[in-house]
Amino acid sequence: MKKKLLSVILACTMAVSLAACGSSAATGTDAGSADAGAAEAADAGNADAGAASGAAGSVRLLNGKPEIDAQLQELAKKYNAETGNSVTIETIGGDTNASDELKKMYQTDNMPDIFVIEANQAATWDGMLADLTGEAWTNDTDYELVDSKMGTIGFPYTVEATALAYNADILDKAGVDPASLTSPDAWKKAVETIDSKKADLGITAVFGWCAEPANLGWSSGTHVFAQYLDAGLKQDDTTYIDLLNDGGQIDEKRMHDFAEFVGMMNQYSDPDLLVDGTYDNQVAGFAAGKYAFVTQGNWINGTVTSSADYSGFDMGFAPYAFEDGIDTIIAGPPSYWTVYSDGNVDGAKTFLQWVSDDSAQDILVNQAGLISPFNDCKFDAADPFYASIKGYMDAGKTSGWHTMLKKDGLQNETCQVFADYAQGKFDADSFTSTMAQVIKSYYAN
Amino acid sequence: MDGFSSQRKLISFVCLIGGAILAIAGLGMAIGKTGNPLRGAAIILGVVAFFVGLYLFPTLKHHRSIVNIIFLFPLLFAFAVTVIIPLVLGIGYSFTNWDGIRVRGFVGLDNYIRMFKQPSFLWSILITFLFVVFNIIFVNLIAFLLALLCTSRIKGLGFFRASYFLPNLIGGIVLGYIWQFIFSSVVTKFTTALFDSRYSMLSETKTAFVAIVIVYIWQYAGYIMLIYITGLNTIPGDVLEASAIDGADAMQTLFSIKIPMIAPTITICTFLTLTSAFKQFDVNLALTNGTGSVASFFGNYLTNGTEMLALNIYSTAVINNEYAFGEAKAVLFFIILAIVSIVQVRISNKKEVEL
Repeated sequence: MKKKLLSVILACTMAVSLAACGSSAATGTDAGSADAGAAEAADAGNADAGAASGAAGSVRLLNGKPEIDAQLQELAKKYNAETGNSVTIETIGGDTNASDELKKMYQTDNMPDIFVIEANQAATWDGMLADLTGEAWTNDTDYELVDSKMGTIGFPYTVEATALAYNADILDKAGVDPASLTSPDAWKKAVETIDSKKADLGITAVFGWCAEPANLGWSSGTHVFAQYLDAGLKQDDTTYIDLLNDGGQIDEKRMHDFAEFVGMMNQYSDPDLLVDGTYDNQVAGFAAGKYAFVTQGNWINGTVTSSADYSGFDMGFAPYAFEDGIDTIIAGPPSYWTVYSDGNVDGAKTFLQWVSDDSAQDILVNQAGLISPFNDCKFDAADPFYASIKGYMDAGKTSGWHTMLKKDGLQNETCQVFADYAQGKFDADSFTSTMAQVIKSYYAN
Repeated sequence: MDGFSSQRKLISFVCLIGGAILAIAGLGMAIGKTGNPLRGAAIILGVVAFFVGLYLFPTLKHHRSIVNIIFLFPLLFAFAVTVIIPLVLGIGYSFTNWDGIRVRGFVGLDNYIRMFKQPSFLWSILITFLFVVFNIIFVNLIAFLLALLCTSRIKGLGFFRASYFLPNLIGGIVLGYIWQFIFSSVVTKFTTALFDSRYSMLSETKTAFVAIVIVYIWQYAGYIMLIYITGLNTIPGDVLEASAIDGADAMQTLFSIKIPMIAPTITICTFLTLTSAFKQFDVNLALTNGTGSVASFFGNYLTNGTEMLALNIYSTAVINNEYAFGEAKAVLFFIILAIVSIVQVRISNKKEVEL
């Protein structure tokens, strides 16, 4: 009997210790460093220490941009030092998609207070996002995410721009003024001029445009396609995205003009890059001065300026002027920070207000290299594209990122049409009709 | 009448009832999201107490089966949590419009009807079957030839065996990216020179499909080869010797002795290649990500020329954000695989009887 009692006691001890391990691990997760390979354990500890002293309590933020993780950790420290409130940064990145991770967090009841979403994901979270209408920062920016039903739900933390990035040195030598590129005819003339001087300029091709679908489908299917949706439109003009989301319709004429323009890009692109290229080759080629234009956005700046072949040339953006008078580039926040309505909403609001002010913007702009979406930000971004983007922003010539509102996964369909067009299987007419059919059937299914 | 002390009876009943209450209370706290830190301990202690009570239960007749249950419980529990419950939940989700976050409504058989109206999904089924057929034939053929080579008397046998098997040790994703580089940067050099076609095999649906088959054979043939080698080595030496004395040449030995003797191995290998080719995902994802155009399939231009079933399910759920629809496709996939497995078991059993 004694032996049995002993074994029962032992079993109980084991169970309790197991349970203790389990619950302490759970507390650890609550406090911060959620799975997902976030690299912030040390900072989370520091942040927690200060939690008690601040009025707004501690806040968890799920960041989707791994490249600015270190700077956000800095931000968290500074926030704690200045206000006594704490914020824990968790970073999801690489190939892990933040929206997938969020779904797991939601299912395990482990939601962060602030998390990153793309505009078209707002609908899946309806009823769970806090309305930020009336916050002071909303007066200082034009880029917050506003939903007709949910109110102001998204905090813009950066502005990214995409259009045809150009190498100013090459255009200069070829005698092409990027400001004049606002019509298809001007483009055609400029491209022919540059193409005829290829040998003198030392370039491989006029365009570094890559329509490879397997790895760069996001580029053609989302960003280049975005130009059809938004080029030339005002920031809040949703004409073509509304048409698209209404059962997958397209404007045939606009698509045809766009197709002609893409056809020109196909014709004057580096054939080695066009069909089988990679993002690395594309950006490296631009950095090495092999292409006058490249179809990416300002996120390539770090890769370009850190390249060994980079000669220090100036860069800027030229519009995809596939119709006369198109003179805008797409610029705005590609994703937003939203506040979880069941979380620490007040703490999150306090933090977001602080982020929109100078001491936080100092870190985001000067250290993380982001472009501030706030009008009252007094720092100039270090981004080599900044001067050009700022020019468009000041002139009000930016179009929205409405491409983020298209149906999830559409880019994987359309990118194949771009790829076939690049291979020469289509002309502008059949590109337009195929695009129409592909989009229509994707929305129908 | 019974030989149990009243003390033992008391302990048993107290443990049983107390454990059950504790465990249910703990579960209640967890489901009710009370955040009570003792909930985990309550569940575990409750379950342990319940089993102690069960063990001490005053019965001689059923004591043995109670012990069996106690010992089987951890395994059954793990199996239920990792296989049975997800399966049931998954089938359940396939009748809803779950988006990965919330279930917004019950849609009945809509997802199932919808998937058969989706030309891209039908195409995925078609090419998956094609892929399976190609793979069964080529993987087995090549693996068998390699096995013959690796059981003959050539020098450096160990080296050859190891190097044919090596690709199998590399993960499919890594392998996919390596071969992607080979196809788009190395093979193009030859095709440009020989056929004047500048674009890689991966940019055209038909050739991309061939490319996936090649990579898959490269990855899998070494593994199947090992099984064939084992089979060939089990052929009794006296049979081979007798045939040699009777004057059988190499071909006769192969077709009349070796192949019949390893018939069970061939069955196993066929089913191994069949099921693994059906479930092909990683090489498909890394090599082409399902891209490739089909000019006309039921009158539709398709953009998922090389997307096989598993990848189609993944992208439906995760990329297109239609989790319930992906679940429905996954249920169909499960049914197909279950049929294949049942047929496999049936045939293997028959073979065993014949032997």
